Amino acid sequence: MPKPLLTVLSREEALEIHSKALDLLSRVGVRFEDPEVAKILLDAGATRSNGRILIPEEMVSEALKNTPKRIDLYDRDGKKVATLGDGALIFNPGSAAIKILDYGAAEPRTPTLEDLKNLVLVVENLEFIEAQSTALVPGDAPIEIRDVVRLYPILKYSRKPVITGAFTAENMPVMLEMLRVVREDAWRRPFTIFDACPSPPLSWSKVTSRNIVDLARAGVPSEIISMPGLGATAPVTVAGATTLHHAEVLSGIVLAQTVSRNAPVIYGGSPALMHPRFGTTLITAPESILVSLAYRDLARFLGLPTHTYMGLSDSKLIDYQSGAEEAYSALLATLAGFDVISGPGMLEFESTQSLEKLVLDNEVCGLVKRVSRGFGVSVDEIATEVIEETVLRKGGNFLLSPHTRKHLRKDVHIPQVWDSTPRSRWSGRSIYDEAHATVIKILKEGSYHELSPDVMNELNKFYEKLWMKTSSKPKYV
Amino acid sequence: MFLKDLKEKLYRAVIEGDPEKALSYAQDLVLSGLDVRQIVSEVLAPAMRTVGEMYEKGEYFIADLIASAEAFKQVFDEVLKPRLASGAVSRGIVAVFGTVRGDIHELGKNIAKALFEAEGFEVIDLGVDVPPEKFAEVVESREEIKVVGLSALMSTTMIEQEKVIEELKRRGLRSKVIVVVGGAPVTEDWVRKIGADVCGDDAFRALKKVKELLGVA
Repeated sequence: MPKPLLTVLSREEALEIHSKALDLLSRVGVRFEDPEVAKILLDAGATRSNGRILIPEEMVSEALKNTPKRIDLYDRDGKKVATLGDGALIFNPGSAAIKILDYGAAEPRTPTLEDLKNLVLVVENLEFIEAQSTALVPGDAPIEIRDVVRLYPILKYSRKPVITGAFTAENMPVMLEMLRVVREDAWRRPFTIFDACPSPPLSWSKVTSRNIVDLARAGVPSEIISMPGLGATAPVTVAGATTLHHAEVLSGIVLAQTVSRNAPVIYGGSPALMHPRFGTTLITAPESILVSLAYRDLARFLGLPTHTYMGLSDSKLIDYQSGAEEAYSALLATLAGFDVISGPGMLEFESTQSLEKLVLDNEVCGLVKRVSRGFGVSVDEIATEVIEETVLRKGGNFLLSPHTRKHLRKDVHIPQVWDSTPRSRWSGRSIYDEAHATVIKILKEGSYHELSPDVMNELNKFYEKLWMKTSSKPKYV
Repeated sequence: MFLKDLKEKLYRAVIEGDPEKALSYAQDLVLSGLDVRQIVSEVLAPAMRTVGEMYEKGEYFIADLIASAEAFKQVFDEVLKPRLASGAVSRGIVAVFGTVRGDIHELGKNIAKALFEAEGFEVIDLGVDVPPEKFAEVVESREEIKVVGLSALMSTTMIEQEKVIEELKRRGLRSKVIVVVGGAPVTEDWVRKIGADVCGDDAFRALKKVKELLGVA
């Protein structure tokens, strides 16, 4: 079946970058802030030099051999929704925004738990954004539990899988426990993926390295998100940043596999060009995207499931730039065949979420997924018989052909919010206003999937205890 | 003619961000007998100003700015600083420098900082885009703080210098410190108008004035 597939590295080029990254790991090594984590690697055959952990090639090869090539992803209620490893294209809201942009506002504001609940409800009703994420950092929750509380409205209202992460080492076990309140086998048949980012160049913080260790032990998928800052924390060249990125992700994979053989790990990333004049981190710069496309090929070469931060915008408003950046990055991500694509809703250098943008991005996700699905070339689809019949006997009008009606439903993508009306039926409103109307409609009439009363009761108990630890009253949303 | 040529070469080396060349030309200039103060005010400061302008015009990137700042720093620390007057008289006096809210230009502030440090001051650098409350908080936090330097490159952000002075007054801190206001648009008239003490349009003159006011000149 013809299907567009985008690759940028030849096998030889991928091999070259891979071997250079192995060389970096064995000669330059990786710094682990946490000595206990470093010890895990030292005990397994790594060596120490100048405070850095040198990882020999054999350790990397062994780890890669043990890393699962496919990961089954379930929903909250235990139904399998996807297999990662072959370009599953699971779009999810760009995560952990510290701001939300309200409809009509020029300045974003600090979000609340209530905002996160609304976001969850909106995403639950968007067809092409197949996973939730802990997308907002609620400013009205105590700082010590700001990562954990984000799971609450998601678990309560949504069935979709969740992309998330912990902000501290201590909270990772708490978040993992919280999942088991909802479903006993939430680790073995996971519906969550946890992000863990190395700190470029070639270094792991205490928090994220411990997160990897805990996740590997629990058997819950971790997503290793290297984030080379081109021209700041990484070489400015695409090849240099890709090599550094690859080495960092490999170091995370080695750690996970050393802790627990066959631990599920996703090869992720969020490369960003540092703007040469403003110092801002551009996720949608062509150079950033080229790094993502290149590491997608490296992961393909190693047979690993993949993640990227694409399908998002660096613009401050929902405007021409946001639409263009969203669409071009989302399309490239789908054509490259990533499994998990984090981005929708996101603005301003991964800092700001917008409900209206989520609705609009859902349209983009639908469009690009349609393109990436390709088309069939069966006898029925090539349709020479239909052409012959219609041309010779039906006056050349395919509108009348049953073939058209049959394939319209199957093959044609119909946008929901995008304006395709003739002027006579046009609402006169901009696409941004339409998106807002959709947000309002979803919040009023949308469907969601609450937990059973028993499980909800248990979740509330867990939630209450969590807040009590900070001596504050739980906020229920 | 020889001196003019050397000055031009140092000026170019700082703009190009070449510390090696800059160091060698600066040494030559010192050997030719040019006063270190003149090297700063006639060569280094104008070079850094040009670099700032090139950045504003989009010709220079952050990486270029950093290279020039590094050239400036090496010349200042290795060639000029050892030849400046002993800073012993100013030891123990703390100055707080920052670029005011809404303004992210720090070249002028950094030059002043280098000079004050060379004179023995301890300089607390608050960076750029600093709100009035932050200046006041820091002044309040340490007894030894006697000088506050407020830098602003733009006429639109100059007004913030006045707000810092108001904030210091509001907290009863104004008399504790000497306020230096600096930046391209700052004039003696402006200093009087907002009730500052020293005009920082020329860092050397400002330093001299501050020392006089502190009685350590």
